[in-house]
Amino acid sequence: MRPEIKEYNFDWMMCSIMMAASKTADGSLKEYQRLCEYIPYFRGILDPFVQEGKPGISFLKLFSDYMNNIVTAHDQGKKVGMTTFCFSPAILYSIGVVPVTLEILSTLGALMWKRGTADYLDYCVEQGLTETACSAQRGAMGAYLAGLGSEIDFVVCDTPGVCDTNANSFAFAASYLDKPFYQLNYPQTLSDDRTEKYHIADYRAMIEFLEQQTGRKLDMDQLKEILEEIKIQDQLVADLEELHRLVPTPLPVIYNLMIYGGRFMFAGDHKYTRLLTEMLQAAGEKAKKGLSGLRSGKEKIRAFLCYIDHYSMNLKFYDWLDDHGIAHMGGILSRTFTAGSCYLDGLEGSAYAIDTSSMEAILNSIAQMNARMPMVRSIRGQYDKPGMWLDETLSLVKMFKVDCVIYNGTPGCRNTWGMVKPYAMDLEKHGYPTHIMNSDAFDDRVESWEATVERLDEFFNVRGLL
Amino acid sequence: MSRVAGCDVGSLTSKAVIMENNKILGWSIIKSKSDPEESANSAMQTALEKAGCTLDSIQYCVGTGYGRDRISFINETKSEIACHGMGAKWLVPSARTIIDIGGQDCKAIRIDKDGVVEKFITNDKCASGTGRFLEVMAKVLDIGLDELGDMTEKTETPITFASMCTVWAQADIIKYINSGYSVEDIGAGINAAMAKRVAMLANTVKIENDVCMTGGVAKNKGVVSTLEKVLGVRIRRVRKADPQIAGALGAALISQSKINNGGSK
Amino acid sequence: MMDAFYEAASKIDSQPIRSWKERGGKIVGYTCSYVPSEIFHAADILPVRLRGIETESMEIADAYFGPYICTFPKCILQLAGKGKYTFMDGVIITPGCDSMRRLDECWRKAGDTHPGIVPDFFYYFDVPHKTTEHGIQWFMEEINHMISALENQFNVSITPEKLQSSIREFNRGRKLLQELEDMRAKTDIVISGTDAYAVTMAGTVMHRNEFTVLLENLVKELKQKKAAKNDKRKRIMVIGSISDDISLIQLVEKENEAVVVAENLCFGVRYEGAEISENDDAVSALAHAYLGESKCPRMYGKYKERLASLKQIIDRTHIDGVIMQNVRFCDLHGSENGLFERDLEKEGIPCLRIEREYGPLVETGRLKMRIDAFFERLYK
Repeated sequence: MRPEIKEYNFDWMMCSIMMAASKTADGSLKEYQRLCEYIPYFRGILDPFVQEGKPGISFLKLFSDYMNNIVTAHDQGKKVGMTTFCFSPAILYSIGVVPVTLEILSTLGALMWKRGTADYLDYCVEQGLTETACSAQRGAMGAYLAGLGSEIDFVVCDTPGVCDTNANSFAFAASYLDKPFYQLNYPQTLSDDRTEKYHIADYRAMIEFLEQQTGRKLDMDQLKEILEEIKIQDQLVADLEELHRLVPTPLPVIYNLMIYGGRFMFAGDHKYTRLLTEMLQAAGEKAKKGLSGLRSGKEKIRAFLCYIDHYSMNLKFYDWLDDHGIAHMGGILSRTFTAGSCYLDGLEGSAYAIDTSSMEAILNSIAQMNARMPMVRSIRGQYDKPGMWLDETLSLVKMFKVDCVIYNGTPGCRNTWGMVKPYAMDLEKHGYPTHIMNSDAFDDRVESWEATVERLDEFFNVRGLL
Repeated sequence: MSRVAGCDVGSLTSKAVIMENNKILGWSIIKSKSDPEESANSAMQTALEKAGCTLDSIQYCVGTGYGRDRISFINETKSEIACHGMGAKWLVPSARTIIDIGGQDCKAIRIDKDGVVEKFITNDKCASGTGRFLEVMAKVLDIGLDELGDMTEKTETPITFASMCTVWAQADIIKYINSGYSVEDIGAGINAAMAKRVAMLANTVKIENDVCMTGGVAKNKGVVSTLEKVLGVRIRRVRKADPQIAGALGAALISQSKINNGGSK
Repeated sequence: MMDAFYEAASKIDSQPIRSWKERGGKIVGYTCSYVPSEIFHAADILPVRLRGIETESMEIADAYFGPYICTFPKCILQLAGKGKYTFMDGVIITPGCDSMRRLDECWRKAGDTHPGIVPDFFYYFDVPHKTTEHGIQWFMEEINHMISALENQFNVSITPEKLQSSIREFNRGRKLLQELEDMRAKTDIVISGTDAYAVTMAGTVMHRNEFTVLLENLVKELKQKKAAKNDKRKRIMVIGSISDDISLIQLVEKENEAVVVAENLCFGVRYEGAEISENDDAVSALAHAYLGESKCPRMYGKYKERLASLKQIIDRTHIDGVIMQNVRFCDLHGSENGLFERDLEKEGIPCLRIEREYGPLVETGRLKMRIDAFFERLYK
């Protein structure tokens, strides 16, 4: 890590950037435009959000609040838990824990900084983590290993059995920092009785762990309130998903990130409800007029990101899609899989329902919901087993009238790289042109943007999609 | 009087050093041939000629480098790590951390005050972070290796290279050339990419001052100055001899200590 | 004496496997040390741990696995694709790690283009990552399911009595291996690390009864053996990820600079450590023993326990230096090696951490250079 980087606290730095960013649009348009002249590096990433109007600005405020929570957690007498994006923060909020979700912070760093999180990525390696470990965690983890962030009180993750590389990084961080660690471990199956029982037993043991770490009892009333709010949020997302089915889709490319980003940060929080309401309103208006969500206004083709997005280089990937008239039809992160969603035909076991009628029901609901968070839901078992990655993809591409599928991940993803080739062969057999990107969603040193674009161009041209 | 030698048969170049009473009498750097034995003979011959002496007069010789087991005229072999440690110590007596970038590998070595290796790490097998990377990139830019080193100080706006993969970086460079970027910006970008890659390795062994660089890439001013920035330390320049001969030099120094401890041919 | 062990340890199509097949015996391959071999033994099936040695190219594996995957499961797939594993009547896949568990899909899909390479009995054994009560419970259920599946497939009956008798037989071997480890721990060296590793490796391939008899004789012989006086060789421990190739140990011991007196490797003796209770319910005893000790970094959050056990071995066997290796893309062992290195070096134990490519020592030159330099440090 360069010595000058060590001079700055990572999460404070993120916090002040996001706070400033969220306020840029508070003044007049002229003021905003003038301001942009002074921020040549950040303009590229700030503008796409501001251009989205209210929802975009609310999303920036969400980030700002999220970061603010982290840096002020200890002052407010709260514990700080390091965790992962596919773990619902609802339970942490209901026991007064502030989540430091590494992937969210890695994403922020990757998309905001010209140099990305290179220094933190490499710092992990210098401290003994393998270079092949996933950049999604490494990008922010380096800062916490170096003591450049809020002190972590404990680590909790839910990826063992689903993504070993992820789980391993969290286990490493816990050992390195000498902090308590709890892992929710998911079996390779999802929805049979035996698995559901295991989910519940494991989740309850985790609650005990959280109670020990915080010295607090889980507040059931608060948890109930949070779950009720999640119900509302899930309904709003379902409404957005309905709009997403329209051709052209009225949802801008960036909405996908906003839907899941908001959920990973603030599931069950009013702020996220407000964001979704604004998004629904904006998209609804476009839908009424039959407009595409793309900036060009012309949807030529619909692409499904079967895994994750590409966050580095100022979200250039999103711009590229937009510029080419390609609508982003979501990915593994975008859908909630709440009961009643339109794409559940044949995937019923993948859905969760929230029942707050009793204490028992509340605990079971959140355990089953957590087990159906993105990734831990559909890439736990063999990809071609019922309800797993292939089934889920086929259901979604059909429901959202998708023309082609794009895989993007990180070279650290042992899990998907172990099956993406046969998975892609199967999708092709079902008639979906499928492109496997070699780049790293969080580390643009792996494959240059130029090379990435060249391969994307080639795919869309050779396959006659554009 | 003790006359000793060291011979380092590397993958791209072979080096030999003849020493007498802690002074370098003669040295050589030649391009390695397909047969390591031949490379060793040729490097040694050149060094002997420069020193103005014959092989018979050498009392002890240590071999090192990839081809060390194939050298016919040596008394024993030592690993490159140990030799580079010793060699660097002689070149920069205050050195505790050595970054050696050779043709096909890169090492970071931490030594104690006597030049004995405490900790080391080497790069993994691909060409990224090695001299070979720079060589390939210079070729694509159609400039000499020396010129590439000068690029860093000639520009304020180096390109940030994405990939350190030799194959992909080549493709990127061609793209930048075609897009009209200056050779200086591209060259400086290459040096910076190299420096960043190597910095990670150096940080892994936990740097202690002073730091010095050996190996052919130590002659690339751009890499050295960028590395200083990235690591936040001053890198002591090697002035007593060509930094590329550090391995052979270390081998000769080990020979010398053998003689002093009573060994002989 | 050692020939029989080397035969089994260094070939895929080895004598013990051939003769078992000739007798009409069934063979089931498995991929991970978390599969209790006793179960197969009780069914008179020969369990053989799948290996990657003898791989010459990678074109079949590369068609199914992505590029960022450990070469070990790739080698297994390549060998399977080439028909080297057709002697297997069944295969058990486990979620040992991500690379390993995806062998399931890749193998099955490769079967579409390479007919006959997927055995009829292709079974997924879901081993949990934790030892809590519900973890053990899950594992016991998995064991019971596998028992039923084997009974149905091979028309056998695996009774509690048979399981207990198999546990006893395996325990005999475990005791002997422990004796062997005790001998290696002493300063008088009677067996090289390479020989000892060949013994352990052979245990993953040979029929247990045959193995135990050979082992018994070996231990007897070694007890009589006089150790070389004044042995100055450095005492090395080799730890880390998968290694089913004895030449790695050979490389460390070459030119007698060193002797490997302990290892903690996947495929090594670490899984033979504790004896299994012979009196409790057999399935429960197996579950507790196989899962309970968290020896592999796949059991997250147990680093401290593993460090303590490593230190204990280091003290007991008077180790001069630890060589920690991991196959590239094995983040689990690689990262844990990083922590081990930090914590052991702090206590003055010299460590060499290397990342390598799996395969018939594809990088011998590079490995040798690093190992040589490490010994120079030990001998300084």
